[in-house]
Amino acid sequence: MIPGPQMRNAPVETRNATTSIHVAPSLASALDALAEYGAAGAAFAGGTWIMRSPVRHEPLRAHYVAIGRIPELGSIRIGPNAVEIGAAVTHAALAAALSDLPEFNVLVAAAARSANPAIREMATIGGNLATSDFAAADCVPALLCLDAEVEISSRDGCERMKLERFLEIRSTLAPGRLVTQIIVPRGEHKTAHARLPLRKAGDYPVAIVSLSISVDGTGRVRTARIAVGSVEPVARRWERLDAALIGRPLDPAHAARVAAELAGEFAGRDSVDAPAWYRVSVLPGLVRRAVAAALGA
Amino acid sequence: MALSLTVNGDHLASTADPTTPLVDILREELHLTGAKPVCREGFCGACMVLIDGTPRPSCLTPAALADGCEIRTVEGLATQGQLNRIQAALDTSDAVQCGMCFPGMVVSLTHLLATTPDAVREDIRAALTGNICRCTGYERIIDATLLALATK
Repeated sequence: MIPGPQMRNAPVETRNATTSIHVAPSLASALDALAEYGAAGAAFAGGTWIMRSPVRHEPLRAHYVAIGRIPELGSIRIGPNAVEIGAAVTHAALAAALSDLPEFNVLVAAAARSANPAIREMATIGGNLATSDFAAADCVPALLCLDAEVEISSRDGCERMKLERFLEIRSTLAPGRLVTQIIVPRGEHKTAHARLPLRKAGDYPVAIVSLSISVDGTGRVRTARIAVGSVEPVARRWERLDAALIGRPLDPAHAARVAAELAGEFAGRDSVDAPAWYRVSVLPGLVRRAVAAALGA
Repeated sequence: MALSLTVNGDHLASTADPTTPLVDILREELHLTGAKPVCREGFCGACMVLIDGTPRPSCLTPAALADGCEIRTVEGLATQGQLNRIQAALDTSDAVQCGMCFPGMVVSLTHLLATTPDAVREDIRAALTGNICRCTGYERIIDATLLALATK
């Protein structure tokens, strides 16, 4: 018997009877509404996190601005130097759009294996990045290893910042600001995404290793960007592992040995599905799998 | 402001709060109890319905975003009293289980048959990733789906 979720047949009672949802027809309309609502409002993308607020015993905001029907936020532009992904692009759409570009294997795997098929049709890339309390987001480490940038817009204009910087400030973003686009540079990289859910599919990953590596003509690592998700409360790069791999032949067993030596830098997070020590202990194995996948093994 | 819903071909109005989960409107207002609010987290699939032809967990779909959409629940899959292909195959294969997970599975598999006519066993398993059965009755359901796929 599979341990199932607790039955929640009765409607959860912490809903706010005055909550409104403005279905924005355009970006300008969304930004105007967010500015007017201020701290009482928030963007509503796929809804897969916000709609579970009552289950987490968190109150809903008074106002939401639904951004899923804004045309420019649902588009993906594949250019010669970068891919621009609208914030309301779903995981399913993202995986389909990039499936023929091997340099983005890491992002395709992250988008195509997270959650389950129905959730992937709803959950958006922007929501994945903007949800501060969601530690197990697959696309965050994938985009970290791809050196992605985030575009944030408001009625007063827009700005770009590195994803790493965005992760530092996202919980303190001023009201009225909206993630509108993710920009991912293109390059000659081998990339891979290794995740460990407790079931083969349909679960949150206990730990995630995403990597993007380039090698020289002799097969030695020239550049490396490795990111770890779900182990700590916020995904982050593993720069000591990057440095240890550069100049060495790209080899799964070697990478796993180095990862085992360096894994102590992660604190891990305890939760009901896995203890902190376990999340850290599986990292070397995930590094080995990710390197093997990047090599096409 | 009243929401306009099209459920199983019927045009209906609801005055529910815009963030009310669709599953609660289906069950409490429209008395369509096939969709079950079990986990309310999008994990179990017991509340799955088709929204504009795509399977969606109705527990995570707010009423405001169902407004104007074509919604089909398990009660609306049979047409003119005739079971659809997957319903008929599940019946023929004696694969019907209790009503908790099963309506959601029928919805997901109805979509699979419509969109992936050449699906193989692994495709069926992948399509059911978000439909959890606590009785572990998956294999007969997969066999029945293969039968439905073979029945043109």
